Amino acid sequence: MPLDRSRALVLTAVGSLFLAACSGASGTGKGNAAGKPVSGGSLTYAVDTEPVSFDIHASPQDITGAIQRNVFDSLVHQDAEGEFHPWLATKWTVSDDLKTFTFHLREGVKFTDGTPFDAQAVKVNFDRIVDPATKSQYASSLLGPYTGTTVVDDHTVTVRFSSPVASFLQAASTPYLGFYSPAAIKKYGGKLSAGGAADVGTGPFKFTGYTKGQSVTLTRNPDYDWAPATASHKGPAYLEKLTIRFLSQDATRVGALTSGQVQIADPIPPADVKTVKANQQLETLTTQAPGANYALVLNTTQKPLDDIRVRRAVQRGIDIDTAVKSVYFGVYKRAWSPISPTTPYYDKSLENTWGYDPALANRNLDEAGWTKRDADGYRTKGGKRLSIEWPLMPQEYIREQRDTLGQAIQADLKKLGIEIKRPRLDIGTYIEKVYAGKEGIADYSWARFDPDVLRLYFNSASDPRKGGQNATFYKDADLDKWTDDAQATLDKDTRRKLYGDTQKKVVDLATEIPLYVRTAVAGVSTSVHGLKTDPNTWINFYDAWIGK
Amino acid sequence: MRATALLRPVAGRLAAALAVLLGAATLAFLTLQLIPGDPVSVMLGPGTAASPEVRAEITRTYGLDRPVAVQYLHYLGHLFTGDLGESYQLQRPVAGLIGEQLWPTVQLALFALLLAVTAALVLAVATAGRNRALRGLASFAELLAVSTPSYWTGILLLTAFSFRLQIFPVAGAQDFASLVLPAVTLALSLAGVLAQVLREGLETALGQPFAVTARARGLSATAVRLRHALRHAAIPLVTLTGWLTGSLLGGAVLVETVFGRPGIGALTLQAATNKDIPLVIGLVLLSAFVFVLLSTLIDLLYLVIDPRLRTR
Repeated sequence: MPLDRSRALVLTAVGSLFLAACSGASGTGKGNAAGKPVSGGSLTYAVDTEPVSFDIHASPQDITGAIQRNVFDSLVHQDAEGEFHPWLATKWTVSDDLKTFTFHLREGVKFTDGTPFDAQAVKVNFDRIVDPATKSQYASSLLGPYTGTTVVDDHTVTVRFSSPVASFLQAASTPYLGFYSPAAIKKYGGKLSAGGAADVGTGPFKFTGYTKGQSVTLTRNPDYDWAPATASHKGPAYLEKLTIRFLSQDATRVGALTSGQVQIADPIPPADVKTVKANQQLETLTTQAPGANYALVLNTTQKPLDDIRVRRAVQRGIDIDTAVKSVYFGVYKRAWSPISPTTPYYDKSLENTWGYDPALANRNLDEAGWTKRDADGYRTKGGKRLSIEWPLMPQEYIREQRDTLGQAIQADLKKLGIEIKRPRLDIGTYIEKVYAGKEGIADYSWARFDPDVLRLYFNSASDPRKGGQNATFYKDADLDKWTDDAQATLDKDTRRKLYGDTQKKVVDLATEIPLYVRTAVAGVSTSVHGLKTDPNTWINFYDAWIGK
Repeated sequence: MRATALLRPVAGRLAAALAVLLGAATLAFLTLQLIPGDPVSVMLGPGTAASPEVRAEITRTYGLDRPVAVQYLHYLGHLFTGDLGESYQLQRPVAGLIGEQLWPTVQLALFALLLAVTAALVLAVATAGRNRALRGLASFAELLAVSTPSYWTGILLLTAFSFRLQIFPVAGAQDFASLVLPAVTLALSLAGVLAQVLREGLETALGQPFAVTARARGLSATAVRLRHALRHAAIPLVTLTGWLTGSLLGGAVLVETVFGRPGIGALTLQAATNKDIPLVIGLVLLSAFVFVLLSTLIDLLYLVIDPRLRTR
């Protein structure tokens, strides 16, 4: 696998950073040397977002998945290398055309309300996800061309699709395709978003309490005995209780951690990472997010970005290294590919191939005919200024100081004579204009541990006007074919070639400019041991225990 | 006699209150119609993988495909039966959501108010018309308290009393200890405003002939302040306190966020961010109701404080 191993936990000893390249399940802390795991105790985990909906089948939120991972199991487990392991399914077969997936389910698994987990439960859940009444914003897209589930016998189930879905096993490993007790679905129906008593899964923890605006309480499921083989132990989780506190203010969350009132704070803002690292009682847990990097998405149907020379000028005229380093204090790495190093089939050969080159950028602009300058120093052609509009979203949608990074980009491009206008739009107008291809530049990231995000981003069928994500609006026969073909095969060499070519071509066409690799840094008390992160950068609490 | 004197203003008030609530509901409804963009897209926010079928289902469930006038009438009809509807995002009845988040905010607001009024009384009575330097100092402190954003005050208090000294818990609403810092945060700026107004009122009252008369009758300076001047200065104080209490709801948004407390403030923020229309309108109605209730109470309090108003 060409995977960069930094997906595995990056742990910090005081003041020094070292990469722990792990194989198999990721994650050992320096704390693991502290002895035998202790059962019992409670742990408080402070996060920055509160789920809007706890319904794993409906919600598109990252935080919903992160919390519910502890309550819901999946058919298969995916490790940090992208390999699949048995979980609720002991084995599975995939038809050659990648349209039929048969799962042999583990016996003896029970939901926490006593309902047995069986083939019928799988069918009920998958059917619920695709039912429009569920209003699924994410899980239904993971099921994609789903046509139905057949119960073969109590412990065998077949899931069928109308077209090949190479990424189905990956999708099936996420909590979004996890399983509610059919009894709970029947009883609570459309009220699963409220969490609490309705939230019945087979996971190592039970959802036992929720105070809106404050916290969620999870307690150990004493009957749990079906952890994936990659876990460090079997049987129930060590922790008796896990409290998740919602502390949206960075200063409050970091202060709660440094004063020992919570044991884990996630995320630690880049500016505070140094402080946390310097603290003897704390360590950091750093994981690069998988999926599409944060990037500038250039609309190729609009002037002047329809000209590849202008796009290249923008691509090479931004000093990404300096901007990312200064805004994120060296905590986030600059990106070289549309997908992050922790995504399967990341093409490492792209690194250092398209650095800052203002001379080249200027040459490109000259060649494109933008040779004159106006009174403000901006380039012009035929009396028109070289101006591109890149709208800002309302403040509440801006994360990770992307507006500050934008200012650095604006300044770099101004030096080349390119004007970047950044009107702040209300979200309604923003969506309307950007999704319809009426703006020059859009900016976003897309977290998913699957290179299929490349299809989502660059296949011309993934049109934002039809719910897709390709805001480059570029139609390229190669990109369409490669991303479609890669989704129709499980052959690793073929996929690596197709996804590698896709990444190179996107950089070559300069339709998208990757900026940084989103990086989750959690601060953890040294008393917490056995923490792991899963491929989605979520913290897994099953093997966690509290020591000295 | 006194009962009937109070009855009429109360009845008039009630009718006015209903009109205000209806107006607020209508205004909120209209404002939300003015948000640009397709309501379903706005609700889903940027970066969603929602399929056209899901969008259609959302449109259908919430009746967003019907004419605005029909939606408005439908909505008013429900309102009259006391049904605030169901939150789009949380899929729970709005009334229930507000009900469960109301108490932590009321607790916070009342405790903050108590602290603020007490502090303002002590400060103003102690410094009004006295030593110029002392008054200047108090005045400066009050101005500082008023002009510091509550967000910042909260972080400072947290840093000192929670992170460093660890006297109070950082966040939540589980016990009294967790109420202290957020209440003090809210109270500080309130106390600042109230003390300034009260001192001015006291000083004006102390300059009136009746104060001199009282002094001449042998009353001590403090007794004059407490028994006579305070009553005169109380009217603007009460008006202002009422208005400030109503605005505490808005102030609570920041404080509840900083301290990670549940409450109406946190709920409002979430509702507004997610364009959860039924919830937003429910909260607007609550806020209008609180203002109506407070201004009624204040009017009645005037009658108690100032006997001259009762004879009109």
